[in-house]
Formats: sequence, structure tokens, C-alpha cells
Amino acid sequence: MKWRHPVFAGLTWALTLVATASEAAGVSVRDAWVRESPPGVAMMAGYMTLRNDTPRAQLLVAANSSDFEAVMIHRTIVKDGMTGMVRAPQIELLPASSLIFAPGGYHLMLLSPKRTLRAGDRVDITLEFRSGLRLPASFEVRK
Amino acid sequence: MKKKPLKFSIMIASVVLAAMLAGVWLAATYRENDSRAMFLPDRVMTLFPDPKPLTAFALTDHRNRVFDLASLKGKWSFLFFGFTHCPDVCPATLAILARARDNIDKNIVGAEDVQFVFISVDPRRDTADKVGQYVTYFHPGFLGVTGDNAQIGNLAGQLGAAYEVSIEPSVENYPVYHNASVFLVDPLARYHAVFTPPLDAEVIGKRFKVLRELAGAKAT
Repeated sequence: MKWRHPVFAGLTWALTLVATASEAAGVSVRDAWVRESPPGVAMMAGYMTLRNDTPRAQLLVAANSSDFEAVMIHRTIVKDGMTGMVRAPQIELLPASSLIFAPGGYHLMLLSPKRTLRAGDRVDITLEFRSGLRLPASFEVRK
Repeated sequence: MKKKPLKFSIMIASVVLAAMLAGVWLAATYRENDSRAMFLPDRVMTLFPDPKPLTAFALTDHRNRVFDLASLKGKWSFLFFGFTHCPDVCPATLAILARARDNIDKNIVGAEDVQFVFISVDPRRDTADKVGQYVTYFHPGFLGVTGDNAQIGNLAGQLGAAYEVSIEPSVENYPVYHNASVFLVDPLARYHAVFTPPLDAEVIGKRFKVLRELAGAKAT
């Protein structure tokens, strides 16, 4: 029997489903918010606390939202006394740990909102993990 | 053979112990001697004992008025360099400075001589109008400033505010690196103090109150 055999494929698929379902319960988002932007500014930032209660490390690899042209995972860094942003291609969330996205550190860069977002509004952003887990989260716009 | 190193290590130990005791004593002395401790750099603010006078520069504020050395005279100015296409650090800093401004207005009598100025390091995208719209969103009293690259570099250089704009014609959101400190210029247009991140509105208000009183006593 080759590894491509339908039985194996089916088994792998079923196992992935089970793993994803159990991990969905173990990875959570709290305190998710987006800073309201001044008029005419097409760049916003989203913050949150990510919690991993699964026994495995989880790799956050992307984020997307139908409310923005693009969503990128960024990190604010200090280089030669200057502050700037770099793209974080992936972020490892260790087992039984939290990771805080906060001003001056990790943030979701939100490009060109498709509607006017004011304090009190909510936006949906889906976080994607290497394991295949997709975690939808609701972010509150705050001033 | 063995005696010598032992003596030597006892000697070293004594020196280390003496140094530690001296350190403790010095720390205690500094804590007691407030006026001296004021000049020690801390994690929040560095106050310069000998403020450096700034020299001529020429920029434009968001109401299209000249912003130059004369605009700094007679006022305490909090200066922050940034750019409007900055989603994280600039809005976070301006939100903190807006609270600091309110805190100063509430707690210091005669604080009308205080101005908060946001200077764009990205004049290619930040027109006077755009900067104005941006800063007044955070606080109606804030002043936005822009100008040509040479003059922005002139003022930033005098304050040691390094920045780097990597313009790539094909990239809409080119990267900008900038110093995220808040620079305090006194009413004689001298570089008086600097607040370094992480910034805190309450702390800025408190420190400013003290240093303003100190400077007032020296007849600034």
C-alpha cells in the first residue's frame, strides 16, 4: 500500500479535522481592539491578547478581513535609536502562553478600511495558523 | 604557592566589598539629595543641566504660517517627529501627549505658554493640510508642522532626532524610521529635556511641573 492510498488520505483528513477542532477550542483572542484613525488616514492598527492553551506551539502566519484592503502582521522595532515597523512573517505562540499585541510592539496593520470606522464599531478579522486553524475574532474600534 | 593566590583573592574580595558599600552609600546620598538627583538621567526624562540653544530653521505650520526659532521663544514646546502614514507609534504617542496636555492644563496655573508640535519627517506625503487634520484630531490645540527636507533635517539634527525615509517610487507605503522621543524646548529656545518611550501622560505632566518650577527659579 502506498502512502497516497485513499484510506490513508481519508485518515489524515479526519485526523486533521479532529486536531483543528480541538485546537480551535485551545487558542483564543481577548481584548481585541482597533485604534480609531484620524480623518483621511488609511492605515490603522489592531491589538489583542492571543492565548494558546493547546499542548503544541501555534504559528500565526496570516490575518485577513473583508473590512480592509489588506491585513499584515507587523512589529514595531527600534533600530539605531529610530522606531520603525517590520513585517513579522510568522509568530510562534508557545504552549500554555499568551502573546500581547500592543502599541509599540506586535500589531495587525490594517490597510485602507472599506467603510468609515468610528469608536464603537466592530470589525471581524480572521487569524490563520500554520496548523490550518482559522480563528475569527471581533475587534472593537476605540478612540 | 597556594598562599599567595588566597591572599590575593581576599584582597580582591575586600575591594569588591568596599566598592559595593560605596555604591550603596552613593545611591543613598543621591536619593536624599533631590536637587542633584534631578539631573540624573532616568528611564522617563533626561534633563540637561546646560540646555543647548537652538539655531535658525524655517518650517511651515498647518495654518500655513512660518514656524521658526521665533515660534519657539516665550513658550515651552513639546516636539514630536513622525508621519501620518504611521499606524502604531505616532497615534499612540499623540494620544498620550493629548492626555499630557490636558493634565498640564489642569494642574499648572498659567500653562498657556505651552505648545505641542508634531513635525512630519515625510513631507512628500504630508502636506500642511494633511498634518493639520491629523494632529487636531488628537487635540484641537496641537500644531502640525511640515517643510522641506533640508529644514526638517536641520531641526531634527539639532535635537538628535534621527530619521530615515526609504522612498521607493513603486511602493505606496514606503518605510519610515524615526526617533520616537518627545523633545522639550524651553522659552529661550534651548533644548531643555527629552522624554523617552515608553511615555506616560501623568508622568510627563508631573515632571514638566517640577522642571518648570525649577527653571522659573533660575529666571528663565
